[in-house]
Amino acid sequence: MTLLMVCSLYLYVGAAVAVVFLLFGVGKLDENAQDAWVFRPLLIPGVLLIWPLVIWRWAVLRRGEQKLDRHRMPRVRQERAQLAFVIVIPLIIMTALFVRQDPDMLPAPELIEAAK
Amino acid sequence: MSVKYVPVQWNANKWGYDAVLIAVVVLYVWIFIRLGTPAADLARPLDYAILRMRAFGTCAFWMLTFILCIGPLARLDKRFLPVLYNRRHFGVLTTVVAFTHAMYVLGWYFSFTAQSQLTALLSSATGFGQILGFPIEALGLAALLLLAILSATSHDFWLSFLSAPVWKTLHLLIYPAYALVVAHVALGYFQDSKNPIFGTLFVVSALIVAMLHLAALIKERRVNASAIEWVEACRPQDIQDKRAAIVPLSKDERVAIFRTGNSFSAVSNACAHQGGPLGEGKIVFGCVTCPWHGFSYKARNGRSPAPFTEMIPTYNMKLEDGLLYIDRQANQPGTDVEPIISEVTEDA
Repeated sequence: MTLLMVCSLYLYVGAAVAVVFLLFGVGKLDENAQDAWVFRPLLIPGVLLIWPLVIWRWAVLRRGEQKLDRHRMPRVRQERAQLAFVIVIPLIIMTALFVRQDPDMLPAPELIEAAK
Repeated sequence: MSVKYVPVQWNANKWGYDAVLIAVVVLYVWIFIRLGTPAADLARPLDYAILRMRAFGTCAFWMLTFILCIGPLARLDKRFLPVLYNRRHFGVLTTVVAFTHAMYVLGWYFSFTAQSQLTALLSSATGFGQILGFPIEALGLAALLLLAILSATSHDFWLSFLSAPVWKTLHLLIYPAYALVVAHVALGYFQDSKNPIFGTLFVVSALIVAMLHLAALIKERRVNASAIEWVEACRPQDIQDKRAAIVPLSKDERVAIFRTGNSFSAVSNACAHQGGPLGEGKIVFGCVTCPWHGFSYKARNGRSPAPFTEMIPTYNMKLEDGLLYIDRQANQPGTDVEPIISEVTEDA
């Protein structure tokens, strides 16, 4: 219940951020978004879900702190994520196979009346 | 490219791609239900609803599996690049299919609860301390949330707004999302399924995804291994006409040296759009063209042709003793650099 309440609160704040951001922020931050209104409702789910990131980027762009290394892709981070992925997937599969109960190995069902 | 944003950038190729995708999904669900229905007899009249949710659930799993194969396959073999072209639409459709599965689960198992359906779902199974019987609902919900974040931030606006490195980092969430889905199936349907075909396909396909990523990772490491102190790049004749040589400067930074006849220019290897590997593309109509989505740049200044406004960094180069050298320090995106002119004598 608490988890769902926190999630609801998060989404309500996200909705408030979405209204302000899509009405007043988007057009000023991106010239391709100026006078382009039809696509903006499509951004609502994204703002709802990642609004803290939206506020951070909005502040960065307003301060003009656009990073010049945008051509540097996060390869190291991607490699680490990929490596963890390559290890985790077989681990999950092995665990699932280990705990899997073979239906043929289970005792055959028997009528309680017959057992008496 | 950089024109006024529209909700969805469709073209004839994307229409075709999406039409095929939707047709395959509809066909899969139909066949799954048709094949499964005879198994539901009068003694088990409820099975149709379960069959329907499993049809969408397994469909979402195969779709996500395929999506995760596209990246490493395209990296290992360029013939898979056309599949990568519209991967975003593929991802959004996968989220829709997974969401449909979740709605059927909620509608079937939690319809008559006094609490909200989500509360009932999260509180119905709480055995987080055990493997067999682990609440797979929570795993599925978490995976769906991550897929929703990925789909909701797939519009080009987000790339521009977040910047490519931040956007790319956010979209690494695809890895935990898939791991959660695999755990959701492995501890759920896989445990219950008496059909060996599904179990085998599930295990094999998840392992194939892991192996493909391992192969791509090894290939990337080999490229990075050559990223030592940079002095020289390559010989002019090592580069095919209208193609590029990719030169790693560090683990995160690569340069693409493009050749047009006897003219050589160096630009960042990362496309301003989604960080696609420009050096794996070619010169088309005088422009460096990204192999992923066709974004174009002039090689000498890294600028997209008008009316587009994307820019990528350029690099200064010099030619000494028949070798091309790159200045490690990138120029500001869009900086004009005089190309190196070198007569190319092809090796015998």
